[in-house]
Amino acid sequence: MERRWLRVLRTPLGAGAAALCGLVLVLAVVAPLVWGAAAEAVDTADILAGPSSEHWAGTDNLGRDILARVLVATRLSIGLALAATAIAVLVGLLLGSAPYLLGRRAGRLMTAIVNAAVAFPGLLLALFFAVVFGLGARGAVLAIGLAGAPSFARLTHALVANLAARDFVAAARIAGVGRLRVLFRHILPNVAEPLAVNATIGAGTVLLSFAGLSFLGLGVQSPDYDWGRLLYEGVSALYVNPMAALAPGAAVLLAGLAFNLLGESVAKGLGSPTLRGGPPPAPSADGDSRRAPAGEDARDDVEAADPDVVLDVRDLEVTVPGPRGAIRPVRGVSFTVRRGEAVGVVGESGSGKSLTALAVTRLVADSGHVEATRLRLLGDDLRGADTPRRRRLLGTSLAMVFQDPMTSLNPTRRIGGQLAEVASHHLGMPRREAMSRAEDRLGAVGIPDVGRRARQYPHEFSGGMRQRAMIGMGLMGSPRLIVADEPTTALDVTVQQQVLDLLATIRGDDAVGLVLISHDVTVVGEVCDRVLVMYAGRIVEDLPTSELATGARHPYTRALVAAVPDMETDIDEPLATIPGRPVDPAELPAGCAYAARCPLADARCRAEDPPLVADPGGRRVACWHAGEPLPGGTAEHPADELVETP
Amino acid sequence: MSDLRWQDVTVRYGRHVVVDRVDLTVPEGRIVGLVGESGSGKSTLARAAVGLAPVHGGTITLGGAPVPTSGRRRPLQMVFQDPYASLDPRMTVGDSVAEAMPPGRSRQQRRAEVERLLELVHVDPARARTRPGGLSGGQRQRVAIARALAARPRVVIADEITSALDVSIQGVVLNLLRELRRDLGLSILFISHNLAVVRYVASHVAVMRAGRIVEQGPTERVLGHPNHDYTRTLLAAVPGRRSQP
Repeated sequence: MERRWLRVLRTPLGAGAAALCGLVLVLAVVAPLVWGAAAEAVDTADILAGPSSEHWAGTDNLGRDILARVLVATRLSIGLALAATAIAVLVGLLLGSAPYLLGRRAGRLMTAIVNAAVAFPGLLLALFFAVVFGLGARGAVLAIGLAGAPSFARLTHALVANLAARDFVAAARIAGVGRLRVLFRHILPNVAEPLAVNATIGAGTVLLSFAGLSFLGLGVQSPDYDWGRLLYEGVSALYVNPMAALAPGAAVLLAGLAFNLLGESVAKGLGSPTLRGGPPPAPSADGDSRRAPAGEDARDDVEAADPDVVLDVRDLEVTVPGPRGAIRPVRGVSFTVRRGEAVGVVGESGSGKSLTALAVTRLVADSGHVEATRLRLLGDDLRGADTPRRRRLLGTSLAMVFQDPMTSLNPTRRIGGQLAEVASHHLGMPRREAMSRAEDRLGAVGIPDVGRRARQYPHEFSGGMRQRAMIGMGLMGSPRLIVADEPTTALDVTVQQQVLDLLATIRGDDAVGLVLISHDVTVVGEVCDRVLVMYAGRIVEDLPTSELATGARHPYTRALVAAVPDMETDIDEPLATIPGRPVDPAELPAGCAYAARCPLADARCRAEDPPLVADPGGRRVACWHAGEPLPGGTAEHPADELVETP
Repeated sequence: MSDLRWQDVTVRYGRHVVVDRVDLTVPEGRIVGLVGESGSGKSTLARAAVGLAPVHGGTITLGGAPVPTSGRRRPLQMVFQDPYASLDPRMTVGDSVAEAMPPGRSRQQRRAEVERLLELVHVDPARARTRPGGLSGGQRQRVAIARALAARPRVVIADEITSALDVSIQGVVLNLLRELRRDLGLSILFISHNLAVVRYVASHVAVMRAGRIVEQGPTERVLGHPNHDYTRTLLAAVPGRRSQP
C-alpha cells in the first residue's frame, strides 16, 4: 500500500500537486511569523495605493500591505478549511457506519436521513447553519463541516456495506468478534484509502466554500481575515487596484487546485491497475522486423497448401508490460487445428492458455504485443494491421465462446437483436432476414420457444442458456473454427454436459475445428481428440486424449492427471499433489520452468530449457526425461514452501 | 455427542423459499458431502447454521443444543469459497488466525497456538507475520482453515473451498481435510458441486435440489446405487464418465 502512495508521487501530476500542497502548508505555518508584522503595519499616508516596488499588490484602506496579508491569511484559510473537512469526515464516518452497527431497521432509517440530506445543496445548508450558529469563523466551520458530512456519510455507507458483505468479515463474525470490533479492525482500515482521497479533494472544495462564505460576509469577521475576507475587501476597490482582489483570488485558486489535484492523482494511482504496470515497453526494432519478413512469408505460402488446416500457429509470442519490465506469458507456441478436429488446451492459471486463445483471435488488449512467424486462419494471414477484410474474416469464420456469458452479452439489448447484428454487420443481410437467421441459430443450439426467447434480455436467460446463445452467435456466420475459453467453468455439472454435447455436435456436423481451453483435464478428455498441455507459456506436451490417462510422457502431464480425483480414484490413498506452485511468468528460471517441481529434474533441466520435439507419430513433448518412470512416493509433499512474490 | 443437526429448517428471502424443510445431520467425526447445483440452497443451508441467513422454521442444533450465534465461543466454523476474499488484506496471517481464538490466553500462548495451527495446515509458521497478499490461493485457503480451527470448533463447514483453486493445489486441501478428520476427529460439512471430489473426501453424501434434500446416505451407496432420478442425472453429467471403458 505504502508503495502505491509513493508511486503516485512519481507521476508528474502527483509530484506537482504534492509539492504545491506542501508549499501551501509550509506557508500556513511560516507566513504569520515572517510577514505578520508587515501585514499589521498601518500606514495612513499610503492608503488604497496601487502596486509599487514597496507594496507589490498595493495597500488596503488602512495602508496595510495586501500581499503580506494574503500570505499571512494562509494560516487561517487553510486551518479553517482543514477543521471543516475534519468535521465533515468525522460526522460522515459516524453517520455512514451507524447503519452497520444499528442493525437492519434503524440502519435503514439512518440511510434514508442521510440520503435526504445529500439532496440539499451544500451551500444552502451552509448558509442555513451559518445563521443558526451565528456569524464568525466558528459558525462557518461548523456550517461547512456539517454541510459536507452527508456526502461523506453516503460514501462511507456504501464502502462499509460493500466490505461488510465480504467473506473475511463474515468469518470474523462467525468467530465471535463483535460488530464494533469488526468495524474498527476489518472495515474501517480497508475503507481508509478511498476516504482519505475523497477528504483531500473535499478539502479543496471546502476551501472554496469558505472563501465564498467569507466573501458574502458570513464567514470570518474583522479584524480577523482569511482569503475570502480579503477578496471581499479587495473587490470594493477593484477599479482602483485590481491586484487587491486578484491576489487573494489567486491564492484561493492555487490552494484549491493543489488539494484537488493531489486527491485526483492519488485516486487515479490507487484506483487504476494500469498505473501499476509501469510504462509499456518500447517496441524493439528487431521485434518489429521479425514480424513479417518478406522472404519468409513467401516460403510460408508454398508450405501452407493443405486445405484441411483451419488454424496454423507458429512461434506465437505474447508480451505484456509488467511492473518490472515486459513479461512474456506466451513463449513460442506452435500448433495446427484441422477441419473437424477438436484440440484441448489445458494448464493451470498463469500457464498462458487463455492468452494464447486471445492472441489467435486477435483480441489481446492494446498493451499486449503479439508476434508469430505464422498465424493463419483458413490460409489468411492474421498478423499485421486491422483491416475491414480481416474483421469480416474473424467475424464470420471464427466463433469465440468465453467463460462468463453474462459479461460477453450486452445486458441492455435483446438476445435476438444481438445475434442478428452479426449477420447484418458482417454479411450485409437485411434486418428481417438476419432476425430469422438468429432465431434459426438459437433453435439450433437448443433454445426452446425461440420466438419468445429471442425477444428476451440476457438476464432472463439462465447461465446455460446464455452460453448457448453465445455459441449461437458464433454460428451466425459459417464458422470454420470455434475457440472456447473455459466455456463451462461457470456452469453447473448438468448444464456443463449439455454445452459440451452442443460443442461436440457442431463440430461433428459441420466439420468445424474446435479449440477448447480448460483447467479441467477431464472436460478436455471428454470432447477433444488431442490435448496441448501448457506450462509457463509453453506447450510441454501434445498428445492424443486417449493417451492422457496412461500414455503421457511429460512429468507435469502425468502429475496433472493424477492430481484430479475422478469417480474411480482410490479413496484410501492420499491424492497426488504437485509440490511447489506454478511459475510466475515474470520470474522464469533459466532451464525447464517445471524443474523446481519435477521429481525427475537434474542439473541439465535447471540449465537448459528442453525443446518441444515431435516423434514420428506426431506426438510432441518438451522434456529431457520424457517417459522415464517417476520415483515412487514423490507426490506426498505438503506443497509450496517456496518463496513467492506477491 | 456433538452431531450438527438441521431439523425441518426453512429459510425464506421475501416470498422466495430457498431452503424448504430440510433435515440433515453431520455425525461426529464424519465428513458429509452436500452436492447440488447453484441455487439449490446448499450455501444458504450452511449460512443459516452460523447465523448469516435468517431461519424461518425448524431448529439447528449442535450436540443437542442450539448453535450459538453470539458470544465469543463458536463451536461451528465456516471456510469460504474465494481465497482472495476470505482474509483481511490489511491483517497479518497470524493476527487473522489469532483473532478467532477464544479469549483468555496470554500473548505468548496465542503466538504458540498460531504456530501450531499453521504447522497443522502445512503453512510455514514463519509466514505468520506476512499479509495475505504474499500468499498463493492454496496457502490462503489453508490459512482460512487454520483460522476456523483456532476457534476450537467441533464442526467445520467448508463451502466450495476448492472450486477456486488450481487442480494441483486442490489435492493438497483435500488431503488436509481428510487428515484433520482422522487426527482431530473433526466433523466437516463439505459443500461442493464436484461429485468426484465429494466422493473422495466424504463418507456420507446428501443431494440437494430446489431447496430440498432429495437423497442422502453413505457415499458408496448414493453414488453407486442412486435411488433418486436427480442423483442419476448428476452422476451421468460427471465429465469423463462416458469415456470410461
